[in-house]
Amino acid sequence: MEKGLFKKIVLSLAGLLVGLVIAVYLSAQLNPEAEAAAAFGGKNISVDGVPDDVVQAALKTYVPPGQLDEYYMFASGGHSGNVFVYGVPSMRRIRTIPVFTPESAVGYGWTTESKEMLGEWSWGDVHHPALSETKGDYDGRWLFVNDNANSRAARIDLDSFRTSQILDIPNIYGPHSAVFMTPNSEYFMLGSRFAGPIPYGTYSPIENLSKDYNCVLAAVAIDPNNGEMSVGWEVLMPPWSFDLSDAGKLDSEGWAFLTTYNTEEAYELLEVNASQREMDYVVALNWKMLEQAANEGKYKIVDGVKMIDPLDVPGSVYLVPAMKSPHGVDVTPDGKYFIANGKVAPVATVFSFEKFKECIDNKDFQGEERGFPVVNYEKVRVAEVPVGLGPLHTQFDGNGYAYTTLFIDSTIAKWSLDTFEVVDVTPVHYCPGHLCAAEGDTVSPDGKYLVSLNKLAKDKFLSVGPSHPESAQLIDLTTDKMKILMDVPTDPEPHFAQMIKADKITTWEVFEKDPSQPGAVYEKENARIERDGNNVTVYQMGFRSRYYPDHVEVNEGDHVTWYLTNTDFDEDITHGFGICLYDLNAEAQPGETIKFEFVADKAGVYPFYCTNFCSALHQEMQGWFIVKPKGL
Amino acid sequence: MDFVRKLFKGNLNLIGRIMFGAAGLILLASLFLPWWHLDLVAPQYPEGLSVIVYPDKLDGRIDIINNINHYIGMKWISEEDFPEFQVITKVAYVIIGLALITALVKKRWLAWLTAGLGAVGGMIGVYDLWRWLRDYGTQLDPMAAIKIDPFTPPIIGTNKLANFITYTGFNSGGYLLGLSIILMLLAAWRFKEHEKQKE
Ligand SMILES: [Cu+2]
Repeated sequence: MEKGLFKKIVLSLAGLLVGLVIAVYLSAQLNPEAEAAAAFGGKNISVDGVPDDVVQAALKTYVPPGQLDEYYMFASGGHSGNVFVYGVPSMRRIRTIPVFTPESAVGYGWTTESKEMLGEWSWGDVHHPALSETKGDYDGRWLFVNDNANSRAARIDLDSFRTSQILDIPNIYGPHSAVFMTPNSEYFMLGSRFAGPIPYGTYSPIENLSKDYNCVLAAVAIDPNNGEMSVGWEVLMPPWSFDLSDAGKLDSEGWAFLTTYNTEEAYELLEVNASQREMDYVVALNWKMLEQAANEGKYKIVDGVKMIDPLDVPGSVYLVPAMKSPHGVDVTPDGKYFIANGKVAPVATVFSFEKFKECIDNKDFQGEERGFPVVNYEKVRVAEVPVGLGPLHTQFDGNGYAYTTLFIDSTIAKWSLDTFEVVDVTPVHYCPGHLCAAEGDTVSPDGKYLVSLNKLAKDKFLSVGPSHPESAQLIDLTTDKMKILMDVPTDPEPHFAQMIKADKITTWEVFEKDPSQPGAVYEKENARIERDGNNVTVYQMGFRSRYYPDHVEVNEGDHVTWYLTNTDFDEDITHGFGICLYDLNAEAQPGETIKFEFVADKAGVYPFYCTNFCSALHQEMQGWFIVKPKGL
Repeated sequence: MDFVRKLFKGNLNLIGRIMFGAAGLILLASLFLPWWHLDLVAPQYPEGLSVIVYPDKLDGRIDIINNINHYIGMKWISEEDFPEFQVITKVAYVIIGLALITALVKKRWLAWLTAGLGAVGGMIGVYDLWRWLRDYGTQLDPMAAIKIDPFTPPIIGTNKLANFITYTGFNSGGYLLGLSIILMLLAAWRFKEHEKQKE
């Protein structure tokens, strides 16, 4: 080859290359969206050309201005101690209801009443919300949640979305297997996750777990008129870990089903040692029989509670073998089947309640453990549905299908309750725990929407550093194939949720005037400060945008009781009340009288002000709390 | 004697008597219905805040209106401030009684008296309403946080006041009251018996 020709070719190739590099660089500079567009099928998502199915999905979740969502979804807030309320299908978070944790946004935890209700704990671990039911259908009256950390249950009144009662449940360490509602809200039940010696404070070395430790199932009775909770009775259970639970309905009404792991009764390295047996159990309890026993006095009192030993009530507890360490157990809407999810076995096992009863009637048992009959697995099981890896929870639609979350696969499987075959699988993002179908725990699910409550949201939202949000994904159930309509980030950490038709809930908006209520003042002439020795009582009134009185002077060391009445009987007009540098904060809703008590232990001048923007002159809604030093 | 006889001899015709009877009953019905209203509508009150005036009481969301009105220094609206409420129904019952008597005895002079009383009463009522509206709208506290020009909302119509638009007008009871007065005036004026024919 001629030297000149070779040089020409090399130079022109180099020129081409340089030109290409410059062109690519320039085009990237001129059109920075190109890369993003390329990731979206080459379409510019901010203008038009969005794929039709994406537009359709967006439209299905779009709730136009002035229109309201079709469902409320109540999601547990895990260790945030809150309950999150969403509107479905828009997936807008409407409200955070503080339950077990102080929430300064609404002054929950500083008023005398809320402080008393929260008791000695400053956090809680909300797990499984349960709506009250009538004839197996949500009635929209109350929502009950458990505290897995400090063994409590709480009631939220759904006419005001406020936590109105917190109940301590004795003898349970970690009521994880809770709460589940009986079909007419006679009881909701809680089962222990952790074995321990009871009552609380009892010492026994861990080696004695099998002998001295117990789990408990508690039946909390609900007053049908006002929802007031009280511990009805408890049942002494073996020291296994009770995981999840569901109540029987229709055919299986009167029964309760709980999954267990650690029937090995291990107390070290449970990951390994509680995974040794091939089968654990679904524990079936005849709660009507146990209730009867409680009424007949077949109990002893432990920590103030009627404690029934089920071995004294033969026929009240049976064990149903279930695949290794099952997680969720769910009763189908018709009450005919209960389904245990394998967790580390890739199947959802379907058990027939009818066959379970037959086994009992025929005494068809494969053995006995801790005195409880173990029913014959082969007889009771009607199907092992190969749903995929890591099945955790199952919900239902109204058309005979079940939906199971697969934690390890990161999918949701739809399968038939008729053929027990998987008919559809959709990937979710990632690692779904619970899922929530519209009215999915009732005897007549709506089957319109499903929400997957995912534990991880990696790559889904703008980065916020090392801690990613959790995510919830709305899935359309109205088409043959499940279709994900929307992703939303959530706060840590929803465990379970229930979705109720919005028109089943009726709220009130303004407190009624009640002059008989302690501390209430409705006329400024009656606003005053009273002193009785070292006790000072402030009767304060607030309305847009002033306080009466607007300066309050006390002596250092005085015990102060402070009432504040919001006399704006007007929807949405809330007044806050915070005292600077005194760690005091509360909120009075329209018409409400709040009370808080404290010791004025710091001398000086401390401004107080309205913390909730209430009017054009809100900034002027302020005053001074003056604490005169001792000996002045 | 003839004069006296004539005085008691009814000369309101049947239609006139029916009209007076009806006027009395309509007036009676109006006492249980709202006569007049004022609606305040603002962006944050799309549902409207209303004052509803009955012959003997106020209704509506007056507490809320009072709470807001303090910003412009308007007087607190309170039922006790209106002695009218003690009088209006009593006067109305007198007129109702007179109207029914008129329907019975047919006297035209009584008809004119009753209709006249009704008409004058109605006019005084409207004047009273206007006086209150002017009172509330013009006697504003000079210390108020928000200073606005004095105003008098119309008896019927709309008015703009800060972020509020006021809509005022008569309600069912007010219309019935008007109808009752018109019926009486019309009956007294037109529906008499022809004396010639009678004699
Ligand atoms: Cu305020």
